[in-house]
Amino acid sequence: MPFPRSTAASHFVAGMSGTIERFTNENLACKLLDIGVRPGSRLRLVRKGPFGGSWYVKIDQQCLALRKQELACILIK
Amino acid sequence: MANPGTSDFSITSPVVGLVGNPNSGKSSLFNLLTGLRQRVGNFPGVTVEKKSGVMRIENLPPVEIIDFPGAYSCYPTSLDERLVVQELTNPKGDLFPDAIVYVADVTKLDKHLLLFTQLRDLDLPMILVLNMADLIEEEGLQVDVTGLSRRLGVPVVAVSARANKGVSELKKAIADLLRNPQEFRPEEPFYEPGVLARDVLGDLRQELPARNDYHALLLAHHASWLKHVPEKTRHKVQEARVKNGFHSLRAQVEETMERYDTFEPIVRDTVRRAKNKSSFSERVDDILTHRVFGPMIFVLIMLLLFQALFAWTGWPMEGIEWFFETLGNTVRENLSEGWFTDLLVDGIIAGLGGVLVFVPQIAALFLFITILEEVGYMARAAYLFDSLMQRFGLNGRSVVALISGHACAIPAIMSTRTIANWKERLLTIMVTPLTSCSARIPVYVILISFAVPKGTFFGFGYQGLAFAGLYFLGIISAMLSALIFKLVLKSRERSFLMLEMPDYRTPVWRNVGITVWQKVKSFIMEAGKIILLISIVLWGLSTYGPSGAMEEARAQVQKTVEEQGLSDDDAADLLASEQLEASYAGHVGKFIEPVIQPLGYDWKIGIALFTSFAAREVFVGTMATIYSIGSADDELRIRDRMAEEINPRTGEQVYNPATAWSLLVFYVFAMMCMSTLAVTKRETGGWKWPVIQFTFMTALAYVSAMVVYQVLS
Repeated sequence: MPFPRSTAASHFVAGMSGTIERFTNENLACKLLDIGVRPGSRLRLVRKGPFGGSWYVKIDQQCLALRKQELACILIK
Repeated sequence: MANPGTSDFSITSPVVGLVGNPNSGKSSLFNLLTGLRQRVGNFPGVTVEKKSGVMRIENLPPVEIIDFPGAYSCYPTSLDERLVVQELTNPKGDLFPDAIVYVADVTKLDKHLLLFTQLRDLDLPMILVLNMADLIEEEGLQVDVTGLSRRLGVPVVAVSARANKGVSELKKAIADLLRNPQEFRPEEPFYEPGVLARDVLGDLRQELPARNDYHALLLAHHASWLKHVPEKTRHKVQEARVKNGFHSLRAQVEETMERYDTFEPIVRDTVRRAKNKSSFSERVDDILTHRVFGPMIFVLIMLLLFQALFAWTGWPMEGIEWFFETLGNTVRENLSEGWFTDLLVDGIIAGLGGVLVFVPQIAALFLFITILEEVGYMARAAYLFDSLMQRFGLNGRSVVALISGHACAIPAIMSTRTIANWKERLLTIMVTPLTSCSARIPVYVILISFAVPKGTFFGFGYQGLAFAGLYFLGIISAMLSALIFKLVLKSRERSFLMLEMPDYRTPVWRNVGITVWQKVKSFIMEAGKIILLISIVLWGLSTYGPSGAMEEARAQVQKTVEEQGLSDDDAADLLASEQLEASYAGHVGKFIEPVIQPLGYDWKIGIALFTSFAAREVFVGTMATIYSIGSADDELRIRDRMAEEINPRTGEQVYNPATAWSLLVFYVFAMMCMSTLAVTKRETGGWKWPVIQFTFMTALAYVSAMVVYQVLS
């Protein structure tokens, strides 16, 4: 199921995927860019972590753990 | 020694730096190149662990290889990464390498080349290592090594650190580069500083001691924390940044994006990958990081780990125990009686034996933790517990420290450097020593036999259950303490999780072996030294006393023996105990006895507590020394000697369950490790936090032990 236009990745549920449009927090953007996540990368929410709050995310070929607040800074188109 | 541009190594040996992203297999390669010729120290001025080793290449002096911490880019977010940038931007520093071996995971080349291009723009002689070459076929990759070498302008070597392939080619490439560092100078940079940086560079280029534009740019970005930048230059940089409205983060984003655009086509042309499929790791993670099963499996793994720890280490421990017993007896039989024999047998052999017996358990614990780390499970544990940890003011990464704390608090505290948020990191450092480290094992084992009867409950031994209970007590107290610190300390700094999940890999046994060997060796050396010293000092203190006191005690015993007509054995025991009481050690014990009486301890235990504050494993050695002085008994097992100990006032066993439990609880909580305090001081940069740590843990220990004793007795 595709994301609607330009929405923060934190608004969605497990299984959804889309293409990263941009980041809304420069600090996080720098960290994500460093590990190879950038606009144009494919993002998929794989599953929610236990105790709530964190997500198992797949971006391109890479698996990452991100918090909800961190997903909120990633805009998906 | 730094001497760029020359190949004269007749005076000093060349330095080669291993650099690469975390999880690029850098450490495996390091182990492969250096074997056991490694030294672990600290980088000067900082406390990041420095691993260096020696590699031998024909016709060259021994090459020093430094394993730099893993880093993603020249814009560090953790202390470890800062160090890489600091040393590589300081051509005058001692650690500035003559050549860099840049290690990249061949399956992730599209990401791992970011730092490569940055370092390349610093004009450093480099070799690119495509690691994990054994995966090329497995993953259906095709790599054009010659093309890659031509486009990137550096020698490229495909290596499999796992399968030990390509190493001789790499050594040859290193030798060639060291002999002829000018051969692969970059023709043009991968990145020219862009609009956002041009103005500030224009102002600063002449001021900064930089090799080229990119070096100057990095100094402009990081001048505020780079140690080798003088204060005056720092001010100038700051002024120029303000004047030109230089926005560091934005410039970084611009640079990074541009770099990706530059090297991505190179990777696309030279590396061909097979179709993406859901990888093995992801399928495993479906179960291991499942919302419900994940934490359950974690708990199960931990339970198995500790069960195995005690089930598997029985026979080597008995072997070591037997060895020291035999050694002690042999020495006593073959040497003439006298103070030297007593010191050797009762002090040193008994003290060392008491602790070396636990080497199998310590080795097993380090083995399990290293395997979990090598396999890639630690990152999953951090993900699983991040939300829970946040509620206690910690970070998911704190889990790694809390697990490794069960082996030793020192490496655990050092592992917190990956936590970028200061408050979360501080809290982790403060509470990690509450987890039961391996040095507590000797104390627990001995005391539990007095606290808990033998017997089983649904197949679990009571004593084993008590053991598990002590570990849980440690963890729960660590979490609750974190919660209290969280409420007391205020911080507005933003915290991040953002954690990479490396692919699951079978561990490289060479890495596991080397790590375990190094940890065990340093435990034996460190603990051995301190135990030897304390055994000797303690033996002296308990054999000699203030002038006259010992003679008086002896005369007193003589009189009692005659009056009551005691047998020879009883007389000897009485003499030993009276003499100990009259000795210097006895005086120390008596001095602190009023303070520890409410906890159920006598003055002999007081001596052991006193010496334990240097390092808790000394407890057993102290017991060995105290209870073997002067005794005619040949029994060397400390446990049996303690069991025979009778309180002269009440006529009851000294080590009754109430006292044993009280001591156990005391040892769970008390901060009895000078090395940990020293590490806390270094990591927090002052005396404030180690003092708080020592005070709160020891106060917690005292109060809890008192409550336990008063309730049970």
